[in-house]
Amino acid sequence: MFKGPEEEKPPLFPTWGYWYVLVIAWLVLLIVLFYLFTKTYS
Amino acid sequence: MSLLDWVVLISTLAIIILYGIWKSRGEQNMESYFLGNQSMPWYIVLLSIIGTQASAITFISAPGQAYTDGMRFVQYYFGLPLAMVVLCITFVPIFHKLKVYTAYEFLEKRFDLKTRTLTASLFLIQRGLSTGISICAPSIILSSLLGWNLYWTNMIMGGLLIIYTVAGGTRAVAYTQTMQLVIIFGGMFLAGWMVVHLLPTDIGFKQALQVSGKMDKLNVIVTKFDWKDKYNIWSGLIGGFFLALSYFGTDQSQVGRYLTAKSVKESRMGLLMNGLVKVPMQFLILLIGAMVFVFYLYFRAPIFFNEAQLARVRNTAQGPALEQLEQQYGQLTTQKQQQVKQLAAALEQDDAAAAAIAKKVLQQTDEQALAVRTAALSLMKKADPAADTNDTNYIFLHFVVNNLPKGLVGLLIAIIFLAAWGSIAAALNSLASTTVIDIYQRLYNGNATPEHYLRVSKLWSLIWGVFCIVVAQFASGLGSLIEVVNILGSWFYGVTLGIFMVAFYLKRVGGTATFWAAIAAEAVVLVMYGMEKVSFLWLNAIGCVLVVVFALMIEPFVKQRNLKI
Repeated sequence: MFKGPEEEKPPLFPTWGYWYVLVIAWLVLLIVLFYLFTKTYS
Repeated sequence: MSLLDWVVLISTLAIIILYGIWKSRGEQNMESYFLGNQSMPWYIVLLSIIGTQASAITFISAPGQAYTDGMRFVQYYFGLPLAMVVLCITFVPIFHKLKVYTAYEFLEKRFDLKTRTLTASLFLIQRGLSTGISICAPSIILSSLLGWNLYWTNMIMGGLLIIYTVAGGTRAVAYTQTMQLVIIFGGMFLAGWMVVHLLPTDIGFKQALQVSGKMDKLNVIVTKFDWKDKYNIWSGLIGGFFLALSYFGTDQSQVGRYLTAKSVKESRMGLLMNGLVKVPMQFLILLIGAMVFVFYLYFRAPIFFNEAQLARVRNTAQGPALEQLEQQYGQLTTQKQQQVKQLAAALEQDDAAAAAIAKKVLQQTDEQALAVRTAALSLMKKADPAADTNDTNYIFLHFVVNNLPKGLVGLLIAIIFLAAWGSIAAALNSLASTTVIDIYQRLYNGNATPEHYLRVSKLWSLIWGVFCIVVAQFASGLGSLIEVVNILGSWFYGVTLGIFMVAFYLKRVGGTATFWAAIAAEAVVLVMYGMEKVSFLWLNAIGCVLVVVFALMIEPFVKQRNLKI
């Protein structure tokens, strides 16, 4: 689904899809951590 | 400010100007002026994107926002990483493939000239006015706090950067933004460290977090849904997504940044890295504000952080009543200082029952102090009905000017200028590129020499710079300027994004249907804003959806189709 042009291989990962998943997963992780942060200190 | 502060301030600004001029060397043409010969690596693109988005108000206002409303403002950025992904999949490859100078060029290739011109014009109106206000907002705060003349502060805030922006175009803008951000992050880190360092010796970072949390300043996530609530996880994810997609995908001041990348890969990496770093970056800036809040629990805060405004009220008939309120506020502050020590001690001993009682007592005193402050704000309005009673933007700089050591104050003031310059320079460059590429070259003079277009590009950079300073000189009476900028954006961003959404995803819809859909949607957005039924952040999503729906409804009635790609 996310596959880009062949000549534009991304760094570190075989396809851009991995980068997109990484960015979304990072956002989810941040939201979870922020939620725990809010609960811990409230 | 001390002599050392002045030396730090002037030398920092001079270094940036000289660096910008130095980066302007070499042979130039329109491609190098607006696209930097498409030679930038991803990390320059990343810093340029961040430098364009983070204006002076970002660094002044965000800590103040956390001080007054807690850290929930960070949710405003939750839609941004999602928008970066969509941009990388859709916008970036198409813009690079078509080798466009501006985002609006694509619209003529996809639709027609009138849709391109309409969208470019919406951008010029919105960005031209917003940039003028962006100059004025930090100038008002600095002139008020430091007693500077507002007229000259506006001139320096919006004027000096014109030197390297006109001379060097996008390349000078990108490289100066890189250096500016290094200085900005260094200064903000020092400021954050100093806040904690200046707390009483028995209060460390952990205790400060605990106290701040108990006073509801670490409310990073708010899950309750409310249409009128600006900052909760839902408005942040959905409204913030549409806002970020519109800003980064259709605002030439950002599109112009990642079009300078040397390949699709470098553009994508710059945007994706922005998606990774932006939310934590804003979290840390807001955390400084939460720490400043704790600082002012232990040390006396003024009843109103814009002290120039307070001084004006003292000289009116309301002066004696204000002084009485200030005395009451001072007494309550002394009580709070004792109570916060009790709270910190209870938290340190893990005594939940004692902490709950101490928290309740402290909150009650805080509420009394807030009531006294509200009475003082009413007095201010009585003394001067035009007075701005929102002091959020003054909180952080008040702390800086009154508590940081010599030299660091100058550096923090320099940071305000550099942050302003980074976003204003990118805006001027984008205003010039849109004027020259989408209006001048396309509509009036398409057959001139490259040298002519370069001269005209530099001239328009200068003209827009002067225009924005003129707007800044008249903007001081508009109230909360950060809100004015955001509202101005929400009027146009959603509709502009809707036009691009139709272009990318509805291949069967043509230019005429999209053009009329955009005009109808813009009218509805303005009416909805006037009715005050929803928070302005939602107008971005509503404007976008309306353009798509209207275009689908109008298309069957339009015979002429102009699908070119």
